[in-house]
Amino acid sequence: MSEIILGSKMVQLIIALILVSTFLILGSTRLYSCVRAFGIQSFLLACVAGIVAYSTGKNDIYIVALLTLVIKAAVIPYIFIYIIREIKVKREVELYVNVSPSLIIGGVLVVISYYLIRSINILSELSSFALSASMSLVSIGLFVMISRKKAIMQMLGILIMENGLFLGAISLTYGMPLLVELGIFFDVLIGVLIMGILIFRINKTFESIDTDMLKTLIG
Amino acid sequence: MIEYLLLAPILTSILCFLTKTRKQVETVSIIGSIATLVLGLVLVNNVFKYGTIVAWQNALFADAFSAFIVLIVSIVGFVASFYSVGYMGHEFDHNIFDIKKLKMYYVLFHIFMFTMLLVGVTNNLGLWIAIEMTTLVSALLMILYSRKSSVEAAWKYMIICTVGITFALFGTILTYYAAVKILGETGDALNWTSLIAVADQFDPTIMKLAFIFILIGYGTKAGLAPMHTWLPDAHSEAPTPVSALLSGVLLNCAMYGIIRFYTIATKSTGVGFTSNLIIIFGLLSLGIAVPFIILQEDYKRLLAYSSVEHMGIVALGIGFGGVYGIFGAILHMFNHAMTKSLMFFGAGNVLLKYETKEIDKVSGIVKSMPVTGPMLIIGALAITGSPPFSIFLSEFTILAAGFLQGRYVSSVLFLLFLIMIFAGFFNNISKMVFGTPKPGITKGEVSRWTLAAMSILIVFVIVLGVYIPPFFYDMIMKVVAVIR
Repeated sequence: MSEIILGSKMVQLIIALILVSTFLILGSTRLYSCVRAFGIQSFLLACVAGIVAYSTGKNDIYIVALLTLVIKAAVIPYIFIYIIREIKVKREVELYVNVSPSLIIGGVLVVISYYLIRSINILSELSSFALSASMSLVSIGLFVMISRKKAIMQMLGILIMENGLFLGAISLTYGMPLLVELGIFFDVLIGVLIMGILIFRINKTFESIDTDMLKTLIG
Repeated sequence: MIEYLLLAPILTSILCFLTKTRKQVETVSIIGSIATLVLGLVLVNNVFKYGTIVAWQNALFADAFSAFIVLIVSIVGFVASFYSVGYMGHEFDHNIFDIKKLKMYYVLFHIFMFTMLLVGVTNNLGLWIAIEMTTLVSALLMILYSRKSSVEAAWKYMIICTVGITFALFGTILTYYAAVKILGETGDALNWTSLIAVADQFDPTIMKLAFIFILIGYGTKAGLAPMHTWLPDAHSEAPTPVSALLSGVLLNCAMYGIIRFYTIATKSTGVGFTSNLIIIFGLLSLGIAVPFIILQEDYKRLLAYSSVEHMGIVALGIGFGGVYGIFGAILHMFNHAMTKSLMFFGAGNVLLKYETKEIDKVSGIVKSMPVTGPMLIIGALAITGSPPFSIFLSEFTILAAGFLQGRYVSSVLFLLFLIMIFAGFFNNISKMVFGTPKPGITKGEVSRWTLAAMSILIVFVIVLGVYIPPFFYDMIMKVVAVIR
């Protein structure tokens, strides 16, 4: 059962590290460091998937772990770096909410997620640990999207949310059936590419990627 | 069978990519969409005659409800491809689109068709994948015009819908979790058929949580308030034929996702919880649409807000439940698809002629465009639910269901909102349709293609208002049986 695997201290440690990497994103003001932290987060996620695959002996999950490693920890960070380099933006994050309040809000979100998941009392202790981490990632991702000015950070926020869901899926049910999992990877990758195209287009049309500019359509 | 239906738009899209001239790309697109329509109709016929079809090791599947969605997608898609020839041709003639962009438009158009058909025929919660794909493709269609406002709309659309759909994924994972506990870890545990069979044993706590996430997630995509904020931007900034597909078809596809989960969740949580939630979102959508419709200055946005309203009505029908409620909701999905596409096509003709989207700057359409004008009047009457047009029937059925189920407060509010929307909408449209056209506007229609597309739709709007053919009635009853 999932309890035994998640019980292994290893997975708990990695999940804790995933949370740390999320706070690295909240705490940094440079775009490159954010992308790097996201890469680390995805790498750790691939490790979780790898361990789950090893202990259940399911080949499907190995494939998922490998795909996470390749797509989320390598290809997507590379696309980010490519975009940042090509559009020559200032390498700073530009915040609506400063670093220290951001970190505090992040902490509060983790606590809320923890108690929210705890309140579902049919879950075992350990899957509720993983699920509350997953919930935290989702809410922090959402917070990153609304508290950062650059369009590129909104894209990163969505990917953090997606990572959170991946963690939830792998800890609750060893991930989804392979076909569905592959489809999700496909969508995430295409989604990142298309958001990249949109960011280039925003940059070309508005000569900036501040989402402040995108406020004309109302009513 | 299902494979061929999915293959047709993909093939068309590839062929469109290979063409060289405007004439070629248009011919390929028209032939492709006729093929898609024919295959779609054959599928629908087979499903309603012989029952559920599965293919591709159970990954694809079509029951009555899927077939109904396929029917809507293929009819509106077919008509929109006709309309595109006129509309995009006009943009091409006026050098707004070059041949590269025109080709790109048709390539994406047919991929968009493919993704929407896929939503209907996926046999599992992997529905999520198909719905996310529709967002990706349609965002690309939106930025074909490189106006500032289009780029802004596309970005908002992409971001808000992706976040929404992420919530839906969470709901899907929870549903899968509930299913795995009963069914074990098989690949089948995500199939509709296996889910429905055991849905009553699912843990209600988890299913409640799952349904909330699904409703918020797919509700974002379906344009239910208060998650609708992207919709008026996206639907008004997209090229007109795409606006029609977005409003008429894509919203229904997202609604389809909600209704599928509604069926599963209701079996586990009991009907009270799910219905109340859907009714709240439905009423909210109607209510929010009212002021925006009354005070609207942009006629494409007017139509977009009217879509928010109509998705609210469909949600209400499902929420009221019972045979009447669901029958009304399904009929309304069809009627809204036809009528809203008709209205968007009309609005597109007006946009080409007057080159403005502001209501105040347009007048005398009846005089300047003798065919589009009357059709717009009929469309506006129909969309606001006046008899004897099709939407009146479905709205009336839903209202009756509300009273039958004892939902008096919701039903009265529903009626009130409808009256206010009727007044606001018609006031705005009549400003545009009547009066004398401004000097400089020549008399005449923009293109015959666009008129052909509109006349196909208007047949549905008028005929279904006075007479529901027995086979169509049977079809909807079969869909109702799937949902209940």
